[in-house]
Amino acid sequence: MLHNPGVTLNDGTTLDDLINRDMNEVSLRVMNDKELYELEMERIFARTWLLLGHESEIPKAGDYVMRDMAEDNVIVTRARDGEIHVMLNVCPHRGMKVCTAEAGNAQAHRCIYHGWAFRPDGSFIGAPIEKEQMHGNKHSKDELGLKKARVHLYGGLIFATWSKDLSFDDYLGDAKFYLDQLFCRTDNGLEMLGPPQRFVLPCNWKIPGEQSGSDGFHTLTLHRSLMEGGIMGGTAESIYDTAPGMYGVDVSVPQGHTLRCLEAAQTFKMFADVSFEGKSTEERLNLLSPPGITKDLIPQLFKNLSEDQVNQLANIPPQVGGMFPNILIAFIFAPRMDGGASGALSLHTYVPKGPDKVEFINFIFAEKDAPEDVKRDMLQNAIWSTGTSGTIEQDDADTWPQIMRNSRGHMSKTMTLKYQALHGHERPEGWVGGGDLYPGFTKDDTQWAWWMAYYNLMAEA
Amino acid sequence: MVNYATAAIDTTSVMRGLVSTKRVPLGSEIYNRLLETLYDEAASLDERRFDDWVAYIEQDISYTAPLRLTRNGPNRDRDVVRTMKHFDENYGSILMRTGRLSKSAWAEDPPSRTRRFVTNVRIAECETAGEYEVVSYLYVERSRFDNPHNESITAERRDIWRLVDGAYKLARREIIVDQSTLGMSNFAIFL
Repeated sequence: MLHNPGVTLNDGTTLDDLINRDMNEVSLRVMNDKELYELEMERIFARTWLLLGHESEIPKAGDYVMRDMAEDNVIVTRARDGEIHVMLNVCPHRGMKVCTAEAGNAQAHRCIYHGWAFRPDGSFIGAPIEKEQMHGNKHSKDELGLKKARVHLYGGLIFATWSKDLSFDDYLGDAKFYLDQLFCRTDNGLEMLGPPQRFVLPCNWKIPGEQSGSDGFHTLTLHRSLMEGGIMGGTAESIYDTAPGMYGVDVSVPQGHTLRCLEAAQTFKMFADVSFEGKSTEERLNLLSPPGITKDLIPQLFKNLSEDQVNQLANIPPQVGGMFPNILIAFIFAPRMDGGASGALSLHTYVPKGPDKVEFINFIFAEKDAPEDVKRDMLQNAIWSTGTSGTIEQDDADTWPQIMRNSRGHMSKTMTLKYQALHGHERPEGWVGGGDLYPGFTKDDTQWAWWMAYYNLMAEA
Repeated sequence: MVNYATAAIDTTSVMRGLVSTKRVPLGSEIYNRLLETLYDEAASLDERRFDDWVAYIEQDISYTAPLRLTRNGPNRDRDVVRTMKHFDENYGSILMRTGRLSKSAWAEDPPSRTRRFVTNVRIAECETAGEYEVVSYLYVERSRFDNPHNESITAERRDIWRLVDGAYKLARREIIVDQSTLGMSNFAIFL
């Protein structure tokens, strides 16, 4: 890679000073630097695709939800023709929020300040007192609509971008093969089980962001209670010997998306000792269905996915990971303490709200075609493990603000984060998916891949 | 499933305090004993005596915290979202959570220092004899580490307390928090 500093901060610090590619180290300063934050808004958040929600939230014409693309507030709407639009929630007249509710249904969004009105597709309807031409005569009505982002639906997930040219396929890259197995596997896809849980944390978005780059190590220590509670198999005494859930194949792509694929046979062993040996893909899926997939839905997997994708889902499914820049995927086998095994399907976004503030948004899903009792079960399971009261994220949310605080110290901000437990990529025999692959015990490779995606976007002036 | 975005007439999403009209008057013996129970219960949580707290709880407990959503227009008062929750607990899951707090729950180790202020207590008789609807306002201040600023949260709690062998036991609690985006960094504490 050519040396391309791209970023030079006011004190002369370059991107290469902050991210040392030879040593695989990142300066702690990046977690709390206002100049860098402003550049991230432009070079990362205005340039990549961002997750805003799911189409099941707005099924009818006029339905809308209010979301954020970094610090830009947007309205996500469904227009009369069924099309989904994402537009800046800023009135072109005086900059007021056009929409003040988080969700609802409206055929027109009328600004409460001076009454300018807009259709769900963002187009300008008009201002009051039309005959006096309150909207002026320097712009035609066509030019007075709300500013719109490009929208792409993937497995019903609503993504939007301010970029004019980045295609969604280029954004996903080789991660699509794996992500299809999570988001595009049933006929009617996923359904969001209610509005997202939201809370604000005093930390920079990159702290949860880099962890979502498939940090496996923190599971053993920070999430030790999962082992103690028997949720991850093993016991409190044996976790460091057996390291349950730490062996598998980690995947990264240059776009910064990462996934941890864990062997189903191994996962299954944690709950019940049944061998996968000699079993067909279908038999394996029946023995241990991916989280949220009921027996009735298994034929749909074969219909919607390629043979290679179903084989992977049956044998070594992707379970956790991240999509760059700020999405965490937690499609986890999480047995219920009362013996069920419904699992939990959650996505989080870490929305920046300033260099030292992040909004944590937790979206909870089930397959739309799953029976109501399964959905209810999965919702409860996801609430228990992820999000505001989730026993997993309680511990994460307590860690990140302290890293943030350390990044302020004159001396401590010169410290570096170390990503030096590296495996190097290698292709396991018979593996058909793309990307860089790191088989065996989880290491730092995928998180480093996240930082390299960050570096590359920031360096591109 | 109810779609929260468009649910036009959904009475369950309306915020309601006391439902029963059979009021238990302030200062009556039942009122005083229930108030005392609420204070003692809050103290058991503030003092991290989780076994004592669990002893207040009935085995058929439903302990939930619905989401709040900012809405406007004709839906302005339908802002309690019961399809999604911050807590969705039963007796077993409460035991799991309190059990976790005694082991490696880093979110509460070192523990928070908390003060639960319980006020505006209104009580009414339920249709089932010996059960009481108890609505209270809750204000929690939570101190973490050496942070000089407390995290805080306000909520209304809609409880049902049941008289069992001379003591009041919690059979239902719905915690209606006031924030749509929580300012508290997690709910590793009970409300």
